[in-house]
This record gives sequence, C-alpha cells and structure tokens, in this order.
Amino acid sequence: MKQFKYLSPTTVEEAISYYGQHSETAKFVAGGTDVIVKLKEGWMEPDYLISLKKIEEMGELHKNDATKELSIGATVTHATLEKSLMIQNEYPIIYDAVSNIGSLQVRNVGTIGGNLINAVPSADGAIPLIALDGVALLQGPDGERSADVKNLFIEPYKTILKPGEILKKITIPPQAPHTGSAYTKFGRRAAMELPLIGIGVLLTLADDLETCTKARICLGVAAPTPMRAFDSEKFLVGKKITEETLIEAGNIAADESQVRDSIRGKAWHRKEMIRVYIKRMGLKCISIIKHNS
Amino acid sequence: MTTNISFSLNGDEISYEVKDHWTLLHLLREEMGMIGTKEGCGNGECGACTVIVDKLAINSCLYLAIEVDGKTIETIEGLASTDGILHPLQKSFVENGGIQCGFCSPGMIMSSKALLDENPSANHEEIKHALAGNICRCTGYVQIFESVEAVKNMGGQNE
Amino acid sequence: MSNNKSQFSAVGKRIPKLDAAQKAMGRAEYIQDIKLPEMLYGRILYSKFANANIVKIDTSKAIALPGVHAVLTGEDVPEKMKMGFIKDNPPLKKGRVSCFRDEVAAVAAISPEIAKKALDLIEIEYEELEGIFDPEKAMEKDSPLVHEHLKSNVLKMPWNIHYGDVEKAEKESAFVVEDRFTTTWVTHCCLGTSGAVALFDASENLTIYTNTQIPSLAQKDFLEALKSMGLENKRVRVIKPIIGGGFGSKLDTYAYEHIAILLAHKCRKPVKIVFDRAEEFKATSTRQPTVIYIKQGCDKTGKLTFRDMRMVLDNGGHTSWGATTPSVMLMPISSLYTVENVKYNAKCVYTNNTYSQAMRGYGNPQATFAIESSMDILAEKAGINRIEFRKINKNHSGDETPQGLKITTCGLAECIEAVEKELKFDGKNEKGIGTGIASLIHVGGGARIYGSDGCGAMLKMDDYGKVDIFTGGTDMGQGLDNITAQIVAEELGLLVEDINVVHSDTDICPWDVGAHASRSTFVAGNAALGAAKKVKKKIQAFASKLFDVPADQVELKGKLVLVPGDPEKSMAIGKLLRKAHFSAGGTMLMAEHFYDPDNQNMGKELKGNMSMTYSFGAHGAKVKVDEETGKIEVLEYVAAHDVGRAINPLLLEGQVYGGVVMGLGYALSEEVVHKNGENMNANFRDYKLFTAKDAVKIKAPIIETDDKDGPFGAKGIGEPGCVPTAPAIANAIYDAVGVRIFDLPITPEKVLAALKEKKSATTKI
Repeated sequence: MKQFKYLSPTTVEEAISYYGQHSETAKFVAGGTDVIVKLKEGWMEPDYLISLKKIEEMGELHKNDATKELSIGATVTHATLEKSLMIQNEYPIIYDAVSNIGSLQVRNVGTIGGNLINAVPSADGAIPLIALDGVALLQGPDGERSADVKNLFIEPYKTILKPGEILKKITIPPQAPHTGSAYTKFGRRAAMELPLIGIGVLLTLADDLETCTKARICLGVAAPTPMRAFDSEKFLVGKKITEETLIEAGNIAADESQVRDSIRGKAWHRKEMIRVYIKRMGLKCISIIKHNS
Repeated sequence: MTTNISFSLNGDEISYEVKDHWTLLHLLREEMGMIGTKEGCGNGECGACTVIVDKLAINSCLYLAIEVDGKTIETIEGLASTDGILHPLQKSFVENGGIQCGFCSPGMIMSSKALLDENPSANHEEIKHALAGNICRCTGYVQIFESVEAVKNMGGQNE
Repeated sequence: MSNNKSQFSAVGKRIPKLDAAQKAMGRAEYIQDIKLPEMLYGRILYSKFANANIVKIDTSKAIALPGVHAVLTGEDVPEKMKMGFIKDNPPLKKGRVSCFRDEVAAVAAISPEIAKKALDLIEIEYEELEGIFDPEKAMEKDSPLVHEHLKSNVLKMPWNIHYGDVEKAEKESAFVVEDRFTTTWVTHCCLGTSGAVALFDASENLTIYTNTQIPSLAQKDFLEALKSMGLENKRVRVIKPIIGGGFGSKLDTYAYEHIAILLAHKCRKPVKIVFDRAEEFKATSTRQPTVIYIKQGCDKTGKLTFRDMRMVLDNGGHTSWGATTPSVMLMPISSLYTVENVKYNAKCVYTNNTYSQAMRGYGNPQATFAIESSMDILAEKAGINRIEFRKINKNHSGDETPQGLKITTCGLAECIEAVEKELKFDGKNEKGIGTGIASLIHVGGGARIYGSDGCGAMLKMDDYGKVDIFTGGTDMGQGLDNITAQIVAEELGLLVEDINVVHSDTDICPWDVGAHASRSTFVAGNAALGAAKKVKKKIQAFASKLFDVPADQVELKGKLVLVPGDPEKSMAIGKLLRKAHFSAGGTMLMAEHFYDPDNQNMGKELKGNMSMTYSFGAHGAKVKVDEETGKIEVLEYVAAHDVGRAINPLLLEGQVYGGVVMGLGYALSEEVVHKNGENMNANFRDYKLFTAKDAVKIKAPIIETDDKDGPFGAKGIGEPGCVPTAPAIANAIYDAVGVRIFDLPITPEKVLAALKEKKSATTKI
C-alpha cells in the first residue's frame, strides 16, 4: 500500500487539529480492520493516517448508575462489548450483534464506531444502536453536534459526517422496564458471515406483560442503509404481542423493506427471512422480559 | 515516514525502526524473517496470520506494525520453551492429528492459546466460537477440537 | 498376510505426522517462505474480458518503471510452449482471450509492490466479443464458436459407451425413474496459495521450487518447456517445499510455473511467483461442473436393470483435466452397485467460463450425487426400503463389473451396516428430522490413467539401524511420509523414528506418476515395502551366515535381528549392519523397488481393470430442516469406509473428517459464483466453506477387509471421504421434509423454495 505518516493524537481536539493541517490528505482510523483493507486495495491513499486509538474518552464504556444512560466510546472494540456482562445482561441486542461480527480476531480490534462510519449495508453494529434509540455524538472543526444513529447513514459507505468530523461516542437513553431486545442475522453458514439479512427487534411491554408500548424493528441489508420498519412498529404498539401479531408485523416489515437480489441471495428469500425472524426475535424479546420480571 | 518502536516479542525486548505503513505481518515475516506466521488471504478472513498482542488474538495482516509500540506480542516461534520443549498446545496438536498440511496451524494454535490463557476450561461451544476465524481445509476441524480439548483437560497451561 | 492387528509393531498405530512438530513450531518452509539471493518477484496480469481480441499491448511504461527487470506478453512465449493435454493453452495468451482468468502479461521486479505497480502500467486494448456461458446452448448448431479455428464447441472425446442393452433392459423394467441434476463450480481453497520459484544455473539448467503433486511429470513438462525455448538436453530439478494443501490442485503444470521459468530465463535471476488469495480463487481451476441426465430402472424384486446417464460438461475457455473426469465418472456409473446394462455419454463443451481440473474425487462426487439421489427415488417408486434396496444391489467380492473392474475385497455391506448401526432409517424421526444414506466406490489400488501407474523407492540403511527411504511419492499433509515410514519400520522391525522419508527432490528421488487417485498408500506404500523386503532379504542372508541358520529362520523385530526361540542368536541390528560392511568383502545395505500395479489402461469401450482393488464406503447423515428458513443442520454424520487395512488410524480419520467436511461444503454451501464468466466471490467471506463453527460431529468407522495386494492389506482413502456426502444430505432432507434438491449446493433458499412449492401443490389438491 501507499506509504503514509501515522499520527497518534491523545485528545479529540488534537485529532481534529491534525485533520485541519492536512485536510483531505488525512484519514482517521480506529481499529483499522476496515481501513487497512481499503488501504491495501488502493481505495484510500492518504498521506496521513490519524489514529484515534490513544484518545481515552473515546475508549470508555460506561453506564451511569444515576441516569441509567449508557455511553459507548466510538473506539470501544466489539470484543469489549461482547465480553461485558453488563451488555450481555442489559443490552442483549448489542451482545447478539457484536458477538458474531467477523471473527474473534477482527472483534478484538474492530470498533463499534469504526463499524458505523464504514456504513456497510449489513450494519451489524448499527442495528442494535438504532433499536435502542442511540444518539451519536460528533465533534469536528465546527464544534460538537449530535444525531440519532438512525439518521447517520446517507447511502452505502457514506454517513453524514463532514470532513474532519469524528464520531466520539454513542449514548443510549435509559431503557424502560419490561424491555427485551434481540438481534440475529441470516446467512448460509455459522460464522464469518456477511448476512443476507439482519433483524433487530426491541419490545417494551406494559405492566400486564402482554401489551406492547414500544416497538423497534430494525433491518440490515434490507435497504441501502439500515432501516426501521416504521409501519411494522406502529402496528405492534397497543397490541397484545402474540405469535400472530408478530407474524403480521413481519409481513408489514417485509413489504416496507427494499430488499434486492445480490450474489448473497435473492429478494424473495430475504423477505421470507424478515417475516420469520421478526417473529422469532419478537418471541425472544418476550421471553427475556418474562425472565427478568 | 519511519518511526522507532519498542515492544516485547516472545519475551525479548525489541527496538525497531518501522515504516508507518507496514502491517505487523509484514514486519514479522519480511523484515524480521519470522516465517512461522502465515499469510492466507491478507484480508482478515482466514486467521492464518493470527498472533497474540497484549493477550488478544488478532489478524496481523490487518494490524499496523507501528501500533505494537509498548505492547507484548506472542507468535508461534515463542511457544516452545527455551529448553526446546513443545508447549502443551503444540504437543497436543501434533499428537492428536490437529496438523495436516500445517499452513493454518500457527494461527490456529495461537488462537487456541489466547482462548485457553483467558478461559482454561472453555467448553466445546466456546472453543468453536474462538476458532471460528481460523479456516482449515484439511482436517474438518474434528482433530483440532480434540487437540484443544486435550490440553484443556490438563488443567490449563500457564505452567 | 496377518489378520491379527496386535502382531504389528508399527502398522495400525496412531503415530503422529512426522513433520507435525516442525509445522507446530512454525519452522516448516512453504513456497511462501522461500527466499533466494537476487530473487525477483513475478506477477501476472489477467484478462479484463471473458471473450475478446487483444488488439494492442503497450508495455513501455511498465518496462520503464525503476525496479522492473522484465515484462512478457504472449509474443514472448515460444510457439510450442503449451499446457493441457491437447496442448491448446499457452501460458500467456496471444491475440485472443477466452476466459477472465486468461494470462495476458507478466512482470518481474525487485519487490512485490513494484511488480504490482508495473502491472497497472501495462496498457491493453481489447475488442470485446460476446461471451458464451451456457454449455447446453454452446452445444447447439448455430452457437457462436469459442475457438474459431475449431468446427464446433464440442470436444472430440471418447466418452460414449454402452455395455449390454439398455433399451431392452428399460422395456423389461418394472420401475424406471428419470431426473436431471446439476453440480456447479467449487474450488480447493488450499490455505497455502499457489506459487513457484524458478532459477537457472550458469549452464541454463533449471531448478524450480513448486507445490506439485506430480514432481516426475512436472519435470517432463518443464523439459518440454525448455525445449520449446531452444534449450535442449538440460537438467530440470523439481524441488517441493512443504505443501500447504493439494486436493488435486497441483496435479498439472500451470501458467504461473511456465511464466516463472520464462521470467527467470529472461532475467537470469531467480523469480518467485506466489498468488494472493483473490488470484488463487480466480486463476486456479475448479472442480468440473456438470449437467447430468440419469435414468435408472429395476425389476419387481428391486434388482437394478439398467443405468443410462448423459452429461454436459462446461469445458471453459481451454481444455484441461476436467474434460477427462468422465473416465473416472464411468467407475461409479458402471460399477457402483451391480447393474449389467450401462450407457454413458458425456459432452465437453467450450464456453467462456473458467476451466476445471482435478479436485478430490475427480468426477466421482458429481456422478455419485446423481446416482445415489436417483437410487432413493427409484427405491421409493419400487416401494422398497432404501437400505434394503442398496443391499439387494450391493457389490460383492469376486464381481467383474460391466466396465471390467475386478472387485477383490469389498466391504460395502459392512459399511452400510455400520451406518445402520448409528442412524435410524425407519422413517420414525421427529418432525423436520431425517436420515439419508449414500455409498461410494473409488479406486483403492492405484489408477492406471497414464501408461504407467508406478512409483519408485530407494532404501538405504546406515551403520546404526537408521533408514533413509527415498520415494517418488508426495506428501501434501495427508500423511504419505508416515505411511511409508510405518510400512518400512514394520517390515524391518524398527521404530518409526528410525525412518527418514525423503520425497522432496527429483535429483534424489525416484520416479512416480503422481499423488492422485488416492494411490499413495497403495502404490508408494508397496514400492517402499518392496524395497524394504529386498533389504530384509540381504540382512537375513548375512545373519544366516553369522548365526548358522537358514535365512528364512531369521526375523527382524524390536531393532533386533534374531532367531525366535534361540536367545543366543540375537544381535542389535546396528551391530549386525556394522559387521556387514566393516570387514573384508563387505556389502552395503541398499535396495530399490519400482512398483507398478497389475492394473489396466482403459481399452476399447473404456473397459479395463484400472485399479488393483477398490475402496468402498457408505455415509449416513441425520439432518434437521428448519421448514421456515430452509436451513439445514447436520445433527450427526457417519462415514464408514472399507480401507483394507488402516496403516495409521489417526491420519486415516483425519482424511475422512477432512473429506467429509469438504464434501458437506460441496453439498450445502460452496459455490464459485460466476456472472458472465467473471468470478464474483473471490474471497473467504463470500465463498462459503465451512468454518470451525459449522463443524459437524462425525463418526468414522473403519472396516478392514485386508486386501491381498495392498501393503499390509491397505487400500486408498484420500478421496472417498468427500464422494457421497451430497447425496447423503439430499436423501436425508427428502426423508425429513419430502423435498428433493437436484442442484448443488443445497442452499436454504433452494430448500425453502421447494417447500413452498410442495405446500402450494398440496393445497391446490
């Protein structure tokens, strides 16, 4: 690959300032598992690579005991999230998604933020954060701003980040009681899989533990960018969650999706999997809720 | 575009001037002549290049050499003890048929070591999950699992 | 021939692979690791089209790049330098490209990076032509021609046989089934990619390091290559590094080797070419895809009456070994189960797709997929249990099949019983769960596909009872080194550690036709055994004088030369060997043996006993079908094989497990996806071979029929493990949910589509 100079700032401001000095000849890098592939293929030829690995605030995973807000630094690795008992117990949808990204070797290095910025349609990392109503905190030459994770993606491989802007962290708002979440992806084999379809479901039930008060149905590889099936969600809210309602929700979501044929699979098959897995993930949410109550 | 780095490699303290764009795999194989770590795909999709950095198994083909500064690296060459005795994992892979053509073996053994160092009593599912990123075309994985399980039953390996 | 296993000291023992420790320490040298002084790095430029005329090539910018030592195009290749058995494939193409993987230029430079850059600087103007990608369409009379100098896209090949009278037999059959099956391209995915290092000495003799399964035939090919370059009467030395996987991918000589030779000669420096992974996917050959039409019939009692098969084989842009797979496919077609009337016709058709060569099984997996799926379909139509149906038609020891294959030892019945023991075939499984069985026949005693099926071995003993055995055989991880050492150790009463197996260098090692057709244990093993027997006779003769007993009373056991029952007459073998030559009139202990099995080339009508014995097997699969997603889970797998004798059960199991998992990938998930001739999934992410997480529980019962011709009774096992996996799975899925998939791989999408079709068909009634 083309030679570059490696810079290692220790604060966000320093990183932004490096970018200011070199502008388009510089690229940010977090874990590197996506960037290095691109550098090798020649899709990226920066003169400067600005590593975000040494910026402490970006590497923190922290749940605020008082506010119950979860803060995930953008350079937190997938493996860190996978191994966190807090994530496993309280945010199972994140655990489900990150524990099957690539391989353990990739997860030990790849970061949640890097995965988001890469904006691949499969979006294993994005789906759970969208389902949890995650908010991305960005900082750039023009200062700080935030954006819902669901609004980060413009098209495959393109986010709303402006040149010089860094994704610092993702915050997850406090989750309501009686909330369960689950994610799965469908592929031909059990590991190292870029999915045919990714399905994330989050359900909150009322105190009767039957009626849905909140639903998030998030799909990956069902559209150019990760999408929420809004009609499907609306359908579920206010209804008693049963296998039948979940099947209907799946039908609605399948219709909402924009699946296509590709070398990884056909559109009709993806739609079928949307139907099947919304039902299965929905039932998994219910069993998590019942187990925790 | 070179940088001086220092790191621990298989117990030795190393100082090296690396070019910023070198991957760790390139540093090990092409610059330092340590051919034990293999390149199977260059894309992080096969695990043949797995080494351990600060106790974590990583794909050295996707890891910049410059980033090992201050870190501890273990490669296949460092497993056998200084008196030449094979590490229990190496011995087990040899004795249990875990090695046929051997190209995946260094990476497979390093992934196994990283797993058992962290979780000496890993169960079958955990072993499969940890080795999912190491492709083998020869063995069908059966004797690889047997090799790892045999060491596990010896009660870990940090002797 | 001894039947009692406990009598053996080395044979039958689970001895770890001799080079495993080297490999475990990271010290084994593969082609990737070879570095020679002054070595240059070569890289190859491939076509940008499936079918095009090369209008103009401008290499001037590439040549001018600092660090580049040579740039070659098709113009630089001698006219007579051609690959493939009909010699239609030059290593660099001139004038026309016929598939995406066609090599059009090559460079040698001082670093891999500069070589890659140089490739980008080569400017080629193509005139794109319309591509032909469907072999059945390409067969039609008015189809455009892939090679315009030929009259047709269909090759002239002898794959047209008829044994007995198939038409008559069909009329007399009680039940007949007819179906169409397809198998697609899959590829070897050796973890160590292809590569070679070529260098010339001052007298223009060639040394080439290469991953080859055919060192002697490669030597011959390279001598011809040198001849075409005007280099007559030269030496060619082929050296094998440790090979990172074969599976049939190294059974020929390839463009990259010829190109390395041309570049090395041009630059007068060593040139190394090693493929990256994308190149390995795109530019190495696949398993032969097939379109199979099969008709089988049986009488009322279930006895097979005829088997009629017709195939269309996509020959790709150039002719290679794929076009000879019918010669091996004829074996299961004519001889898997007993059937008297057999018809087989195969057409090899040029297209602008990639071309296929040898891959584990060499046609047998494809043919067996059709035959064993069809057997289940026929059994059902005849109302006979599918296990019973196979038993009714099983092969027997002493049979001679319509093709003239002489079945000597035959453990097929025992293999089927071994599967029955592990899995239930009574149709009483839980919903969505099913079992399937499929058998196999494969050559187990060599395979006479060339004029010779021979292998040479030379054995030398030193003063201390240590042996060096130089064999023509090839180890690529499957364990030929162990088998050789164990056989020699057994015969000479030594330990395996005393035996050093040398197989890496044509300057030192004797001739062998190649590590194919699972022949290494049988042929290389017999060669080593023959040499060991000769040395044993010499030792016995010397000991006979020393101990004053008849030579045949002398035994070799536990590193001793002794006369059983007489403790006085015993000597450590090293001491005896030193006595043998360290005296007046002394002799050395060396012997050679060339073993060429007593099998036959295919003659008229392709008849002939091509192997001295045949390996049999039966596989059983238990699967769970997720009827909502079409996903198949393999719950249990049993692979029983008649191996004659397991020389090394540890390594044998390794061959079975590895073969089965490769076969399961073939059945369920692997395919090279081509779009208009272009490889669309040239990476491990999108080419779905099994990862550790997909691994399956496999039982591998070993059936020993003790073949009289095999070394210590052994037959071959390298390939059988991957032969009947696809039909075992297809049959199990049908048992589970009543749908049959006729096209490999059996993906969830195909299963789900079939389930939906079945459901809508039933609801229509």
